Amino acid sequence: MDDLLNEFLTETAESIDEVDVELVTLEQDPTNKPILDNIFRLVHTIKGTCGFLGLPRLETVAHAGENVLGKYRDGELTVTSDSVTLILAALDRIKEILAALEATQQEPEGDDSDIISQLNVVASGGQLEVAAPAAEEAAIEMPEITQPATILPGQVSLEELEAAFAAAPGPDDEDDTEEEIQSESEQEDLLTRIGGVEAVKVIVHLFHNRLFADISVKGLMEGVNKRDSKDKMGNFFSACLAGKAESGPSISAAFEPFISHGMTEKQNETVRKLLQSVLEEVDLAPLDVDAVLVEYDDIAVNILEQARSKAKNKPSESDTKSAAGAKSGEKSIANQSIRVNVQVLEDLMTMVSELVLTRNQLMQLLRNSNDSEFSIPLQRLSQCTTELQEGVMKTRMQPVGNAWAKLPRIIRDLQLELNKKIDLQMLGADTELDRQVLEMIKDPLTHMVRNSADHGIEMPADRLAAGKKETGTIRLNAFHEGGHIIIEITDDGAGLPVEKLKAKALKNELATQEELDEMSDNQIQRFIFHAGFSTAEKVTAVSGRGVGMDVVRSNIEKIGGTVDLKSIEGKGTSFSIKIPLTLAIVSALIVKCREDRFAIPQISVLELVRASNDSEHSIEHINNTPVLRLRDRLLPLVRLEEILGLGAPEKDEDGNDITKQEDYIVITQVGTFTFGIVVDQVFDTEEIVVKPVAPILRDLQTFAGNTILGDGKVIMILDPNGIVNQISDKVSDSSGFGGEEGEIMPSGIINEREAILLFSAGQNRHRAVPLSLVARLEEIDVKDIESSDGKPVYQYRGRLMPLVNLDSSRKFKEEGRQPILVFADGDRTMGIAVDEIVDILEDKIDIELSSEIDGQVGTAVIDGNATEIIDVAYYIEKAFGTLGSSSTSGHTSTQNMPEILLIDDSKFFLNMIRPLLSAAGYKITAVDSAAAALALREKGNDFDIIVSDIEMPDMDGFSFAEEVRSGGIWQTTPMIALSSHHTPKDFARGREVGFDDYVVKLERDTLMTTIMDQINRKQNAA
Amino acid sequence: MENENRDFVTFRLSGQLCGIPVLSVHDVLSEQAITAVPLAPPAVAGVLNLRGRIVTAIDLRKRLGLEDQKENSENMSIVVEYEEEPYSLLIDSVGDVMSFPEESFERNPVTLDVCWQEVSGGIFRLEGELLVILDVEKLLNFERSQAVAA
Repeated sequence: MDDLLNEFLTETAESIDEVDVELVTLEQDPTNKPILDNIFRLVHTIKGTCGFLGLPRLETVAHAGENVLGKYRDGELTVTSDSVTLILAALDRIKEILAALEATQQEPEGDDSDIISQLNVVASGGQLEVAAPAAEEAAIEMPEITQPATILPGQVSLEELEAAFAAAPGPDDEDDTEEEIQSESEQEDLLTRIGGVEAVKVIVHLFHNRLFADISVKGLMEGVNKRDSKDKMGNFFSACLAGKAESGPSISAAFEPFISHGMTEKQNETVRKLLQSVLEEVDLAPLDVDAVLVEYDDIAVNILEQARSKAKNKPSESDTKSAAGAKSGEKSIANQSIRVNVQVLEDLMTMVSELVLTRNQLMQLLRNSNDSEFSIPLQRLSQCTTELQEGVMKTRMQPVGNAWAKLPRIIRDLQLELNKKIDLQMLGADTELDRQVLEMIKDPLTHMVRNSADHGIEMPADRLAAGKKETGTIRLNAFHEGGHIIIEITDDGAGLPVEKLKAKALKNELATQEELDEMSDNQIQRFIFHAGFSTAEKVTAVSGRGVGMDVVRSNIEKIGGTVDLKSIEGKGTSFSIKIPLTLAIVSALIVKCREDRFAIPQISVLELVRASNDSEHSIEHINNTPVLRLRDRLLPLVRLEEILGLGAPEKDEDGNDITKQEDYIVITQVGTFTFGIVVDQVFDTEEIVVKPVAPILRDLQTFAGNTILGDGKVIMILDPNGIVNQISDKVSDSSGFGGEEGEIMPSGIINEREAILLFSAGQNRHRAVPLSLVARLEEIDVKDIESSDGKPVYQYRGRLMPLVNLDSSRKFKEEGRQPILVFADGDRTMGIAVDEIVDILEDKIDIELSSEIDGQVGTAVIDGNATEIIDVAYYIEKAFGTLGSSSTSGHTSTQNMPEILLIDDSKFFLNMIRPLLSAAGYKITAVDSAAAALALREKGNDFDIIVSDIEMPDMDGFSFAEEVRSGGIWQTTPMIALSSHHTPKDFARGREVGFDDYVVKLERDTLMTTIMDQINRKQNAA
Repeated sequence: MENENRDFVTFRLSGQLCGIPVLSVHDVLSEQAITAVPLAPPAVAGVLNLRGRIVTAIDLRKRLGLEDQKENSENMSIVVEYEEEPYSLLIDSVGDVMSFPEESFERNPVTLDVCWQEVSGGIFRLEGELLVILDVEKLLNFERSQAVAA
C-alpha cells in the first residue's frame, strides 16, 4: 500500500477514536473550551489531509462536521445531544469510508448528501444573530487548508471577500457582535476581542500582500498558491490570537515555503517588521501584537534552523510536511514521539530476548568460575542488558486506556439505544501493559462492558423500584498486582440470575439437577463461561452476537490470564481479569521432576508447600488419589511425573520411591481451579524467554513452549492450562465446579472403595493386597538377593530386608529384575516377591470366600476376576519368624497383655488389623457389629480398650459409644473411633458421644500410638 | 536429484552410509546435552540449545525404524532446517563431504523398506558400498508419515 495513504489511515483512525471520546466528554461538559479546540483541530486535520490525498468524499463529510464544530467553537451553537449524535454519525461514516479505503485503496462510491445536509441544517439552524450570511459564513470558515479540492457550495473567493470587507465596517465597528459572542462563549480570548474571524482575514490579507510587495522577502513566497497560503496564515493568526498555548503543523504550515526557499536571518527580520506593522495597523493592542510576534519568533527560529539544514533542492511536498511535523515536535510534548512499525519493535524484542538468554548463560559461567577477569565487565553487561530489556519492554507498553478508548462511545450509544442511564467510570487507564496483551484483551473487554450495560444495568424505572440510583454505574479499574495486571469490570446492575442459569444449564445438559442442587450460587453463575450460554433471552443488537463469555474466557486464557466473577443477584456483578504484563519474557518457577527441570509460569503459582512425613503437611491418599490438607481444605494433587508419562513413581537414582522423604507441591491455579503439582525439587524463579516449540511438538498441550536457562540447558515450560485439560477427566470442569467451595473436594465424602494392588505370583493367579498396606513397590536385581540363615534377604536402605515367596514352592527368578512388594511394620520391612505387578485399581473388597490357607484372607471378585487377597500379617510373621516366636513366647503371660475389643463390620478390615495388633502384643477380641460387642458386655467381658468403627449397619459407632458411656462395666474403658471420615466435625461428634480419640482408618501408625497412649493413660489413672 | 550441486555430507547410521545434500546442512555437532521432552513422539529425542536457538533433536534410528544401539556411536548430529525450524538429526558418525558422478545415481529399488523408501531420494553406487540420499523434507514431514515414525 502507498506509504502515504497507509500513514494517513493509521493517523486518521487514531484521531477519530480520540474525537469519539472527546465528543462524549464535550457533551457532558459543553463549555470545555480545550476539548472543543482539540476536537476541532482533529477533525480539521482529517479534512485537510483528505484534501491533500484527493479523497473528496471524506473531505466533504469531514468538512460538514467541522462546520458544526466551528460553530460550537465560536460559541454560535450550543452543544446538544442531538447535534453530537449527528457528528458522531458523520464520524462513523468517515470510519466506513476509511475501512473501504483500507481494503481497496480506493475511496468507495457513495452518497453522503444525507448526512451532510443534516449537518448543514444544524450548522445553519444554530446560527444566531451574527450578521454575516450563511454562505459567506461557510466560506470564511476559518481553517480550510485545502481549498482546491473542496466542493462545498457557497464558496466565495477571497478577492470578492476583500471587496466586501472594504465596504463593511471595520473591526472596531463590530462591537455589538463582539459582545454577543463574548457573552455566549464566556471566553475572553483575543480572537473574539478583536472581532473574530473577519478581523483575522483582514490581517492575513494585508500581511500576505505586503510579503509579495517587499522585494527582499518576495522570493520566499515564490511559487506559493496564494489562496492556500492565506488559509494557512489564517490558521496561524487565529491560533495566536485565540491564545492557544500549543501549536501544531497546521499553524506553522503557513511559513513552510520560507523553509524551502531558505529564509535568511535578514529576511526574517523583514518579515517580522511587516507583520508588526500590519498588526499595529489593525489597531491591535501592543500587548496582543507582542503575543503574536512571540509566536512568530518561535516558529521563525525553527524555520531558520530547518532552512539552513535544508538542501538546495526544492523539497517535495511530503518532505515539507514531515519537516513541519518534526519542527513543531520540538515544541509540543504531544509530538515528541515517532511512529515505529510494530514489526521493528517485535524484532527488537526478539533480539533482546536472545541477549537476555546469552547474558544468563554468561552469568552462569561466571558463577562457576571463581575468580575471573571477566567478572567486572560481565556485571556491567548484565546491568546494561537488564536496562535494555526494560527499555525495549517499555516501548511495547501501552496504557490500558487504549483498549478502553472506544468504551465511552459504546456506552453512550447504548444509553440511547436501550434508554438506560449509565455512568462509565474508568480508573487506572494509564496502567501500562504489553501491546500484544493489550490487543488480545481489547475485544473481550469491550464485550464484557457491553454485556454489563445490556444485561447488567436495569432500566431506570426498575432501578428506582429496586431502591437504587437511577443511573447505573459500570466501573473499570486497572491496576498492577504482583507482576500481573488486574482489570475489574464492576456494575451495580441486576447481577446474574441464578435460577435462570440453572434452567439453562439443565436445558443444555451441562449439569444434572442433583449436581445443580449441590452447587453454590457462584458456581452456577460461572456457567456463563460455557459455550453457548448467553443469558440474554433475545439476541439484541447490543450483545448476543454469537460471542459469548466462553470466547472471552478462552481469549483471556490464551494469554495466560484468568477471569473470575462475583455476582450477587440484585446487587451487581464484578468480573476480574488477571493477565500477565507481557508474554515474551515471563517469570517462571524452575522445578525438577526426575532428572529434568521444568518451568512453571509464576502467574499460575499460588504458593509452594513442602510435604514430608514429619512436617506439618503430608501427602495423603484417597483411593490412590493423592491429596493435601492445606488450611482445612483438601487439595487435589497431581504428580508431575505422571502427567509427563514418566510412569508411576517407582524409584529414582537415590533409591527413594513412592514415599519420598520430601515432596514439593506447587499450588497452582487455573481459572478458579486450584490444585497441587507434586515435584521432586524446587529451584528458584527465573526470568525466561518463552520460545515456541517445533511443530512436531506443538500438539503437546502440556507445554507452553521451551526456553534456555542460564546454564545453557533447554527446558520445557509447563502449561498449567494444558495440565488441567489433561487431568480434566478427573475434574469434570475446571471452572464450573471450581471456586470457593468447589476448588476443594468436599472432604467429608470419601469413597468406601479402596485402592487395590493387583499382582500375579505363583501360577499366575490373580492376587491382590490393599495398597494402603504396601509401603513401596521395588524392583531389585536378582543378583543382589543374598541369603541369611537359609532365608533370602536383600540389603534395603542399609538394612537387611527378608524376602518371602508367596508359595514356598516358588523360586526367585534366575536373573534380571525381581519385583518386590515392600511392607513396613514399624522399623521392620519385609519384601514379598511377586511375578508381576499387574495393576492398581479401585474397588470394594468383599471377601466372598474366606480362606483356610495360610497367608490368604480369602477370595474376592476384583475387576471381574476371582482374586486372592493375601494376608500380609501372615507373611510378616513368616519373615520375622524369630521375632514372631519371641513375641509369641510372651503368650505365657497372656494375662498381662492389654486386651482390645475391636468392632468393625468389615471382615476384611478385622482380618487386616487383627494380626497387626496381635503382633504388637495385644490380645484381640474382634466382633463385627455393635450388637455383638454389647452382648460381650452383658457377659461381663472386660477390655483395656475398645476400638470401634463408626460406619456400621444397624447401630453405628456414635450410638454404640453413647450406649457404652451410658452405663455398664465399660463406662470408663477408653474408646477409640475408627473412621474414614476425618473432618473436624466428625472428630467433635466423636468426642461428644464419648470416644477418647478418633483415628483415620488407614493410618495404622496413628492407631498404634493412639492405642498405646490410651492404655498408658488408663494405667496411669489407675 | 536434478539440482546442480551434487555434494553430500555423508554419515553412518547403523552401518549404512547415508548422505544429505551439503546445502541443506547448517551444522555438524558433536555430542550435545539433549533435554528429553516427555510425551513427545518417539522419533523426537529432545531439544537442545545451539547458540541460543532451540533445536529439536530427531533420533534418526527411531525415525528409520532401526535398532536402538549406540555402542559404536559418536553421538554426532547434523543440523538441518525444515520450514524455518532447526532440527538436529542424531547419527552415529559423520564422514566427508563428497561429490558423486551422475552416472552412479540410481532410483530407490522398489523392494526397499517402506520406511526408507519414503525418505530416500535415491542411491549412489560407490565402490564397494551404496550411499542412500536422505531427503530432509520428507524426513521431517512428520504429519505425512506419522505412521512410519516407529
